[in-house]
Amino acid sequence: MIEIKNIYKSFEQKEVLRNISKVFNEGETNLIIGRSGSGKTVLLKSIVGLHEIDSGQILYDNRDFTSMNQKLRKKLRQEIGMVFQGGALFDSMTVEENVRFPLDMFSSLSTVEKQKQVDFCLERVNILDANKLSPSEISGGMKKRVAIARAIVMNPKYLFCDEPNSGLDPETSLVIDELIHSITVDLQITTIINTHDMNSVMEIGDNILFISEGEMCWEGNRKEILFSDNQKLQEFVFANKQYQKIRDDKIEGK
Amino acid sequence: MNIFNQTGRYFALLLRVFSKPEKHSLYVRQTFNEIENLGVNSVGIVAVISIFMGGIMTLQVAYNMTNPLLPNYIIGLGNRDTLILEFSSTILGLIMAGKIGSNITSEIGSMKVTEQIDSLEIMGVNSAGYLILPKIIAVVLMFPLLYILSVFFGIIGGMIVGPAVGAVSLTDYLNGIQYAFNPYYVTFSIIKCLVFGFLIASVSAFFGYTVEGGAFDVGTASTRAVVNTNILILVWDLILTQLLL
Repeated sequence: MIEIKNIYKSFEQKEVLRNISKVFNEGETNLIIGRSGSGKTVLLKSIVGLHEIDSGQILYDNRDFTSMNQKLRKKLRQEIGMVFQGGALFDSMTVEENVRFPLDMFSSLSTVEKQKQVDFCLERVNILDANKLSPSEISGGMKKRVAIARAIVMNPKYLFCDEPNSGLDPETSLVIDELIHSITVDLQITTIINTHDMNSVMEIGDNILFISEGEMCWEGNRKEILFSDNQKLQEFVFANKQYQKIRDDKIEGK
Repeated sequence: MNIFNQTGRYFALLLRVFSKPEKHSLYVRQTFNEIENLGVNSVGIVAVISIFMGGIMTLQVAYNMTNPLLPNYIIGLGNRDTLILEFSSTILGLIMAGKIGSNITSEIGSMKVTEQIDSLEIMGVNSAGYLILPKIIAVVLMFPLLYILSVFFGIIGGMIVGPAVGAVSLTDYLNGIQYAFNPYYVTFSIIKCLVFGFLIASVSAFFGYTVEGGAFDVGTASTRAVVNTNILILVWDLILTQLLL
């Protein structure tokens, strides 16, 4: 479980996040949603410590991340997996080397055991046959899968995904969503996903935080989101008319 | 004020670079990769540049030696000492700042803007140490070797060009390169190479590591890295020459 309390973050004079609090549960896909530029990525990067927050508290299973020194943070980060928007795979390594890298760096497993774990993760994301290719030789969807495999190879307790569906076609997006959701449930990890893709929200949104202009506007789940009377949320959700229709149909009992 | 800010950030980065590695074996492996990438792969260009440098220097000395009282072996001697003292260390340093330096800046800068460095940090890896330390060690180790190669190829260049165009006979040239050799000149230049190697790797890595934005900014950072490294090489050349010669 990850809990954030009263997070404030600004860059120079510009306040980007204001007073955001939320509990993200384990075994659930927790989504942070909002328009582009609303502060989602800053919030996610603040939670993992890539940005230092101005004030507030971040608790990983009641361990206060904000008051930890660099040494303790480094140790905690070995329990974190993260999937970046562009995949952030290492260009100089093959798919397999990318996934094995955290094991090489931090685990004391034998070569055979490492290979077993790498193969297991690549198989989990259904990309084992591309293990010898370099990142430049695979598609965007495959890169995301490799990034997921690398993120879970150390059996993390916390998984962060920054817009995992960006730049992917709807079918591949669905595959990635289902993959992240099943990993979250199977491994009982705390997953936080940044997205502005409403399809993802409706597919896997167990616990949703909607932020707008750096402020927390609404929280709930995918069943409640269509029926919220929050003006800003409605503008975001019903920008796609399809969801307006789904809501109207549900209200009319169709 | 910007220069103080930059200098402070440079030394702060160096502190991170020289902190304890997470896993020595991976750093050693990475260092060997960098030795090949930055050092061994530069041998070709060093050889070509040095042959031409030596040839041209031999011709320049020959054509400017108008006094018939001066012995001809001075041509070989002049080429040798110029290469040993200045050309194969400083000029090669300036050229390597362009080749190796821009390579380092663009590699690390690209990793920064594509979030690969953030990715390392999230894993708990000291990205500055893992990416920069092997490059510094590789360049500092390889630069003196490239210097020695450069002197060798420069002398060969002079030996080919001088007699070929009739500027100096082979015997005079060979006499000249053996005459009044001072081994301290080599020691002095190797010290300079160690300093230049450190500057090339660390300054270029700093500009790459601190880049923000996209591909355009990586290009700008590469240019700034080469310009700043060149200036620092010349400043340190002056300081070391005054201190050590």
